[in-house]
Amino acid sequence: MKDLFSHTVCATCLTWRRWTRLSTIVLAGAVVVAFSIVGHAAERNEPVTFEKHVRPILKANCFHCHGEEEEIESGLDLRLRQLIVGGGDSGPAIVPGDPEASLLYVRVRDGEMPPGENKLPVASVNIIRRWIADGAKTLRPEPTEITRELRITTEERQFWSFQPIRKPNAPHVDPGLRGRTPIDAFVLARLQAHDLGFAPEADKTVLLRRAFFDLIGLPPMPTETEQFVADDSPEAYSRLIDRLLDSPHYGERWGRHWLDVAGYADSEGYTDEDRERPWAYHYRNYVIRSLNADVPWDQFIREQLAGDEMVTPPYQDLDPVEFDRLAATGFLRMAPDGTATGGIDLPLAQNKVIADTIKIVSTSLLGLSVGCAQCHNHRYDPIPQEDYYSFRAIFEPAYNPQSWRSPFGRQISLYTDAQRATAEKIETEEVKPVRDRFENRRRELIEITFQRELKKVPEEKRAAARKAWETPADKRTPDQKELFRVYPSLNVNNGTLYLYDQAAADELIKIEKKIAAAADTKPKQEYLRALTEIPGEKLPETRVFSRGDHTQPRDAVSPGELTVLQSDTFEVPVNDEALPSTGRRLAYANWLTSGKHPLVARVLVNRVWLHHFGRGLVETPSDFGFLGAKPTHPELLDWLATEFIASGWSLKHLHRLIMTSSVYRQASQSTPELSAHSETVDPENRLYWRKSIRRLEAETVRDTVLAVSGKLNRKMFGPPVPVTPNTAGQYVIGTGGRGGELDPDTDLDGEESRRSLYVQVRRSRPLSVLRTFDSPRMEPNCEVRSFSTVAPQSLLFMNSDFSIQQSEAFAQRLREAAPDDLAAQVRRGWKLAFARAPSEEELTEALAFIEEQTAHFTEHPPAEKKSEKDSEKESERPPEFYGLANFCQTLVSSNEFLYID
Amino acid sequence: MNFETHQKSARRHFLASGAMGLSSVALAWLLQRDGLLAEEVKPDLQKRVFDVKPKSPHAEPQAKAMISLWMQGGPSHMDLTDPKPLLNKYHLKTFPGKIKYDNAAEASSRVLGSPWKFSHRGECGMELSELLPHTGEIADDITLIRSMQTGVNNHNQSIIAMNTGKIQRGRPALGSWLTYGLGSENEDLPAYVALTDPKSLPVEGVSNWSNGWLPSVYQGTVVRSAEPRIWNLQTPKHLRGMPQKRFLSYLSNLNRRHLAKRSGELDLQARIASYELAARMQISAKEALDLRGESTATKKLYGLDDPVTEEYGTRCLIARRLVERGVRFVQIFTSYQLWDHHRSIGSDLPAACAKTDKPAAALVKDLNQRGLLDSTVVHWGGEMGRLPVIQNDVNVERFGRDHNTYGFSMWVAGGGFRGGYVHGATDEWGHYAAENIVKHTDYHYTLLHLFGLAPEKLVYKRNGREQSLIDDQPGRIVSELLKRPV
Repeated sequence: MKDLFSHTVCATCLTWRRWTRLSTIVLAGAVVVAFSIVGHAAERNEPVTFEKHVRPILKANCFHCHGEEEEIESGLDLRLRQLIVGGGDSGPAIVPGDPEASLLYVRVRDGEMPPGENKLPVASVNIIRRWIADGAKTLRPEPTEITRELRITTEERQFWSFQPIRKPNAPHVDPGLRGRTPIDAFVLARLQAHDLGFAPEADKTVLLRRAFFDLIGLPPMPTETEQFVADDSPEAYSRLIDRLLDSPHYGERWGRHWLDVAGYADSEGYTDEDRERPWAYHYRNYVIRSLNADVPWDQFIREQLAGDEMVTPPYQDLDPVEFDRLAATGFLRMAPDGTATGGIDLPLAQNKVIADTIKIVSTSLLGLSVGCAQCHNHRYDPIPQEDYYSFRAIFEPAYNPQSWRSPFGRQISLYTDAQRATAEKIETEEVKPVRDRFENRRRELIEITFQRELKKVPEEKRAAARKAWETPADKRTPDQKELFRVYPSLNVNNGTLYLYDQAAADELIKIEKKIAAAADTKPKQEYLRALTEIPGEKLPETRVFSRGDHTQPRDAVSPGELTVLQSDTFEVPVNDEALPSTGRRLAYANWLTSGKHPLVARVLVNRVWLHHFGRGLVETPSDFGFLGAKPTHPELLDWLATEFIASGWSLKHLHRLIMTSSVYRQASQSTPELSAHSETVDPENRLYWRKSIRRLEAETVRDTVLAVSGKLNRKMFGPPVPVTPNTAGQYVIGTGGRGGELDPDTDLDGEESRRSLYVQVRRSRPLSVLRTFDSPRMEPNCEVRSFSTVAPQSLLFMNSDFSIQQSEAFAQRLREAAPDDLAAQVRRGWKLAFARAPSEEELTEALAFIEEQTAHFTEHPPAEKKSEKDSEKESERPPEFYGLANFCQTLVSSNEFLYID
Repeated sequence: MNFETHQKSARRHFLASGAMGLSSVALAWLLQRDGLLAEEVKPDLQKRVFDVKPKSPHAEPQAKAMISLWMQGGPSHMDLTDPKPLLNKYHLKTFPGKIKYDNAAEASSRVLGSPWKFSHRGECGMELSELLPHTGEIADDITLIRSMQTGVNNHNQSIIAMNTGKIQRGRPALGSWLTYGLGSENEDLPAYVALTDPKSLPVEGVSNWSNGWLPSVYQGTVVRSAEPRIWNLQTPKHLRGMPQKRFLSYLSNLNRRHLAKRSGELDLQARIASYELAARMQISAKEALDLRGESTATKKLYGLDDPVTEEYGTRCLIARRLVERGVRFVQIFTSYQLWDHHRSIGSDLPAACAKTDKPAAALVKDLNQRGLLDSTVVHWGGEMGRLPVIQNDVNVERFGRDHNTYGFSMWVAGGGFRGGYVHGATDEWGHYAAENIVKHTDYHYTLLHLFGLAPEKLVYKRNGREQSLIDDQPGRIVSELLKRPV
């Protein structure tokens, strides 16, 4: 069983597990699927060859037992044609030209192989039959044996995402088609090929709202709307984009996207204890600052992978640059880390930290599921198991399983030398004397209590009882133990004193508080959550783990890039003598950001596209491998990637390019004439004949409600805003309420209205408002978000405290902005919520609604909760107020509010 | 929020309906993709569909629903369900064996006899204390287990063990597992309901009905004793009735006008429908919680006519109404440490019994007369029992008993459990379970079996591991407790 606990989830592992543990049926959570992915049906006229068509089927389904394991099942190795013909214990596996005489074909056709419930799909079986019937051809002569390099075939090396990025020329398209930028040319070329074209340009207010949400994740305020609508100049739109890119909220919005893939969390996860991570937020802040400053992404990546290697140790008295570089390595410290928790299998937990870190790094930067090669060769992608461990070796000098440091042990103190000296002085001069007093007094009190208990013992036994008491429990004689059995209350000690004498315990607590107060006068010590190496430490040796089981190490490997991505010009050193650290991560980061890496830039620009369009050019943003989707617009992807690198890895440049394109500026609906045809040809809008509508993400929903209600606290940075359960088990912002025995204090002096990005991400306590709208689970990171449409979201808008409170604040805001003018209040509310003015019809309908509701509240005055604060406000809350508040609630509950065109 | 019903949503979403097991989820993964590019079918590792649609268990179930009367604090078994004449014989004498105390300061080694009389009840002759007169009336319907044991110290760990399978915090509660495995028969009501006491929450608070690391759709929904009864499901008072009706109608107008300009957007349509569903859920919940339609006889049966039993009886009656409407799991909680009688057991234990005995028995009787008992498990019990010796040996009024997780009692009825049967025994002092010991894991094995769920198959994959209620702990289906032994 052990190996089953140590690998990460991947479809392939599950497939394999299915064969080994047939008895287990996994319910709902994870299931094995029979699928025919690799081995695309061969084109009709194309000859079927081993390398191109048959090997991928066998690799995915058969290699594990027939080739890759040390023990080869039935002596049959299926990895080369010649080995198949040679066959195993049952004789040759194929007879070229005669499928019916070929065991391989017969056994898969009859469902005897592979074992278990996953049988090959008919299409795959037919490919094998055709291959044999046609003489079992190979594309080229086969090698005589399988070396590590040869595990990757030419076909695999030719896979699209492993090819160097080249800048394609934008295709020529008819200038009448509203092509503004090269992006448009690439998109239009494909649209034209399907006889499609762009939808009309979106209205100005639609563009405004779209741009606001895309770049800062907040709605435009009425003055901003008015300013933009009034600006008739041709540059109005590009100026708007510049303004938004300059907003400090930009870094918050795009920082959140990156924090998803980095797996940002304020708690350690792994065990159910889910300890808090008090210092992770420095990394969050670093990300926000870097994005706001448009720090080039090559630098941003280098800092996150190897910032520590760019700072000379010891890490003390840090300047801002050093601080940022060390904080950046928090990226590698985001994986769940349960190694500070007691009672766990520590080596297993350590292994998991490294495995999850690899998952985060590889899915975020490489777009490959490297983790699937932890237990065996990757079933689909050309990633041999050895590659996984070479990749892991890049990170091991810092993580060092042979000399593990707990999360606390990895923190870097931010004390300056002066602060440290002050702290030590306070400790000796002020803390220690009180502590000594505490110890003395405790001894006294225990003695007094004991004497009292001793009186309950018959006099003749008292001396013996005292002696027994003074003897440590494990050294007591049977007679002494008997005394304790008959007189159990003799057991007075530090831990039980409070049970005997609450007053004594209280007295001690008072002294303890004094100790704490004295200690509090020390300068507050803060820490960075960082990943570092310890100079001079013996380098850990990285070995391949048999079946991913860390207790079964096999051959040692040296650090390196995945074989299929290797380049002649780059190598990861084992130990760079020029640096105090090994330099492995730094070298690797330099290679990733060299501009020559085939994946990094493609993966990054694809994510940017995803956040502007709701879908990536590659629909699986963390899987650019064989199981991932192919790019819908491969040339555009490469063009964006080269442009990104050429611009000096500027994300803001990329936003400008994308957002000024016509494809981005389309309306979400095409004209009726065009729509019918487009819907038929491309119902999913993969060709971008319109802009697809998108729902706001969880954080944006909450932030936007706060923004329109006027309650949003725009303060930036700082430690996380605490989350706590209330009596109903909902997680709300607040403190206290531990164990739900009391309702928590949810009024945090404005902190409760901070942007969601600043709310504590405790893995086991997701803020209920956010989780309802699909905020991500960090296990260990979130590669792509999902969006649900479920009744609890509707109920939250209809009935929740959050919804009611914010609607009332919204109403209050409108009444203050336009006293005694209901129509003006409605107009302003409309503009705040939707960034547009209501039509006459909409206005009339709104007024009628408010009037009806007001009439009801006149007849049935809402009984207020009576707190002092409320009763002051009572006079300001006439029936009209409640009518208006309910109108405001409608606005924020509506689809126009929740979706972006 | 605590329960979800998936709508057929955005174009991109391909949601499978919820028959349990491989096929449905496999389907969810098989998203059709790349329509324009290649004829490929791929697994989508992101899409896991979790819902409370009814699901078929692994085997024919005997139980379809469960109501747990959770007696938090440790009801004193030697005073209620497990007579120990030896205690009365040794009353106030020194206990001859070794005791595992929790509270040293108040510990004494003097034996405390039970001041309450036991008698044989029902045709089966089950011995029960005079403090449980009404439970005596259902003796022939219940299985009394006198040999419960969690063996872990103190309330917290023992509660967690009984309620989530293991002593580690943060795991999914029993009700979460059942709703995960079986869904609910009524999608307009929460699948899993926690009925909390108006006075306070029990020890461990809200984690008693936590979904742990299961998807939040399997969290218990609290039906509070005060308004709002159900969080987010109950309309704030001032909006109830016409105002919210008008709100929904106006909202629907706005949404439909919005949709008209964006025809074909399935997600917008789904959201309009989700407001309609939400409104339906509110009506269902309101109806389920409205006791006005219950007969006077029924109300009397539950003790709604008596201030002592009214509150607890109301919750028991609500539990019956919920189960009747297809809710899978209901747990009724007592207040903080109601049964934790370290002192003054002479007065406090009778009070706790007076509050709960009649309604608990009424629930079994009522389910029985409605033909629901056969398919509904009723559970009565807490996390521990108590010690045979005195705690607070000051004067007789202040006598109490300390914790005991090594031997205690609970009873179960219905849903495939036998009636009129006593299982297991503690030692002659009532300190340790001695015969036919039932550990919390055995209890869970047995429950899952009755629901047709195979304990090793009801698993959830997390961090690359399959986890379950049992999680590889030893245990067995306690066949002796069952009408249909395995």
